[in-house]
Amino acid sequence: MSDSAETILDVRDLHTHFFLRRGVVKAVDGVSFTLRKGEVLGLVGESGCGKSLTALSVMRLLPKGAARTVQGEIVLDGENILKRTPSQMREIRGRKISMVLQDPQTSLNPVFTIGDQLREALVRRAPAKLKEIIKQAVAALRRVDIAAPEQRIGQYPHQMSGGMKQRVVGAIAISGEPEVLIADEPTTALDVTIQLQYLKLLKRLQRENGMAILFITHDFGVVARMCDRVAVMYAGRIVECGPVKQIFEAPSHPYTRALIASVPKMTGTRGRLTAIDGQPPSLMNLPAGCRFASRCAHVEPRCLEAYPGTTQIGADHTADCWKIGSI
Amino acid sequence: MSAAAEKQLLRVANVRKYFAFTKGILFSRTLGHVKAVDDISFEIRAGETLGLVGESGCGKTTISRMILNLEEPTEGYILLDDEPIHGLEGEALKAYRTKVQAVFQDPWSSLNPRMTAGRIIAESLIVTKWGDKDKIAARVAELLKQVGLRPDQAQQYPHEFSGGQRQRVALAAALASSPKLIVLDEPVSALDVSIRAQMMNLLKDIQAERNVAYLLVAHDLATVRHMSDHTVVMYLGKIVEKAPTQALFDDVRHPYTKALFSAVLIARANQEDEEIVLQGEVPSPLNPPSGCRFHTRCPYVMPRCSQEEPKLRDVTPGHAVACHLFD
Ligand SMILES: Nc1ncnc2c1ncn2[C@@H]1O[C@H](COP(=O)(O)OP(=O)(O)OP(=O)(O)O)[C@@H](O)[C@H]1O
Ligand SMILES: Nc1ncnc2c1ncn2[C@@H]1O[C@H](COP(=O)(O)OP(=O)(O)OP(=O)(O)O)[C@@H](O)[C@H]1O
Ligand code: SF4
Ligand code: SF4
Ligand SMILES: [Mg+2]
Ligand SMILES: [Mg+2]
Repeated sequence: MSDSAETILDVRDLHTHFFLRRGVVKAVDGVSFTLRKGEVLGLVGESGCGKSLTALSVMRLLPKGAARTVQGEIVLDGENILKRTPSQMREIRGRKISMVLQDPQTSLNPVFTIGDQLREALVRRAPAKLKEIIKQAVAALRRVDIAAPEQRIGQYPHQMSGGMKQRVVGAIAISGEPEVLIADEPTTALDVTIQLQYLKLLKRLQRENGMAILFITHDFGVVARMCDRVAVMYAGRIVECGPVKQIFEAPSHPYTRALIASVPKMTGTRGRLTAIDGQPPSLMNLPAGCRFASRCAHVEPRCLEAYPGTTQIGADHTADCWKIGSI
Repeated sequence: MSAAAEKQLLRVANVRKYFAFTKGILFSRTLGHVKAVDDISFEIRAGETLGLVGESGCGKTTISRMILNLEEPTEGYILLDDEPIHGLEGEALKAYRTKVQAVFQDPWSSLNPRMTAGRIIAESLIVTKWGDKDKIAARVAELLKQVGLRPDQAQQYPHEFSGGQRQRVALAAALASSPKLIVLDEPVSALDVSIRAQMMNLLKDIQAERNVAYLLVAHDLATVRHMSDHTVVMYLGKIVEKAPTQALFDDVRHPYTKALFSAVLIARANQEDEEIVLQGEVPSPLNPPSGCRFHTRCPYVMPRCSQEEPKLRDVTPGHAVACHLFD
């Protein structure tokens, strides 16, 4: 993708912290990335590194209470949405930007049927007669491969399998045909055949409507299939970002390399898997230097002293590591 | 394999589970039944891992819930160490629950939001009066470390963890009572690949140490390949293929299993589209297709497939397939 492609979402130096009695959890601590029109950007990284919180910050849907975005800008289609009021945000969500939450449990209300919840989303988009809306709800479920949708709309969430709930949530998020979709692990509960059809559906929406997608996933197969570029996150920051092909074939950051080496294979020996030893730093007590230093094989004194700046590796490829070019 | 490992630990024999499909709340009418699990049999030996894969909604979680004694089969029975597990009461049921533990696909609903992680992990130790306070606290700290969390995280509540971290709390809680069988319903799908690899290595180490058996439900076939000794493939409430894992991955026989394997996305850029895309709508378990349940989508369908139900039979010793192509 060329640099001239229009930016739809520009996140700059985002900091979202939890203020707890025990201390401050710096879950998102200096995240910057851009998402271009019609592009799919993957976001991968260690469990707990702040991917979901980054997404929720962009949606301005932070968990109630202790979480606050304390610094940064979120520019959506030219305007900084951190300046918008809650009611203006409600307008923006669903129409311009929409999100598939990682946890279908919190997006589906257990006391309403699937049909009620879909109808609500559809009515908000374009009010119409009940009969018409029900027809649309059935079609929306069929689009995500739910069998017997006419009957399923009368069911409650607990009567559906994990993968069905996840698809219902997906159907609700895309029903408004937003310009930007944030999908937080939308296929983790799906079997691979249904996953593939769902990914194809997202691709089609992306092509037909020019929808841009921020795709959070742990699955590198999905990244390969879906994404144009991928950002790798570690302990609250993006440490490498580049075109998928380059990240797979020539990862630069030691964390990215280790992560890719951990992918289980479909062929070869079935022995032990490679994993990264050690643990990420506590987000309440981040080191001054490189956050990966305690687990990095290439660590040297300067890594512990200061956070490495961002190095430009290729036209569209950057990484935060002191030793880029020498390892 | 040792003599102890040859022993059948769990037997699932001709189990069916039908859910009534109702309409209306006060004067509900039964419209039919969802045949979630329809005549399923398999065994798990002590200390081995059985992988269970299949399309979303095919009945995997329903089987898990029956094995955990959270749900009664409509027909058939389940035996642990040759004792029927359903109909247990009081102390016997309590004892059963310490022998069979679980980690579920949604850690959001399975962890009590009002308890700290430490208390959740200690729960079964407290119930069985395993030791005094200090001994339990030390054990909790050890379990947290085993699953890759820090002991100080014992004070955190479930909502203060990321999705993947919650999954590890659930695993620590399952390990606490030293069970004989752990039902793992998508235990690693919410984890990043490195922690997934750590967790899979950890599960294998624990198995080797304590001879615990696993029933592993997973959508990621590479995970199943690395973890399980035997693999069972289900489609719409039925077993379609069953074999030692290596034999199955070397020689996939059933047309559904072939479609499933072809949909696996590999982590490499520019992958070709070699997938078998299943045609036809996903059939409804409310009204499953006659004969072979896969006949509405099978690329090899023959006239008799819609009339006669294929029986599960060995095509090579130990490798069973339910398909008329192998009659
Ligand atoms: N309510 C909360 N209070 C305190 N800390 C929290 C809270 N919610 C999340 N965190 C912390 O913030 C960090 C980031 O969480 P987030 O959910 O964004 O992770 P993630 O990258 O999406 O991980 P995963 O891949 O496991 O979903 C985690 O380390 C978590 O422990
Ligand atoms: N309590 C219930 N009431 C009615 N139907 C149910 C209930 N629980 C499960 N079902 C139905 O039983 C079928 C099997 O569901 P199950 O949760 O076992 O699927 P699964 O194989 O685990 O799927 P997934 O991979 O999506 O988790 C589905 O059609 C589901 O709607
Ligand atoms: S900056 Fe140093 S410690 Fe950090 S990843 Fe690079 S080499 Fe490793
Ligand atoms: S029995 Fe017939 S329809 Fe069923 S899988 Fe075999 S060939 Fe296909
Ligand atoms: Mg997350
Ligand atoms: Mg399930």
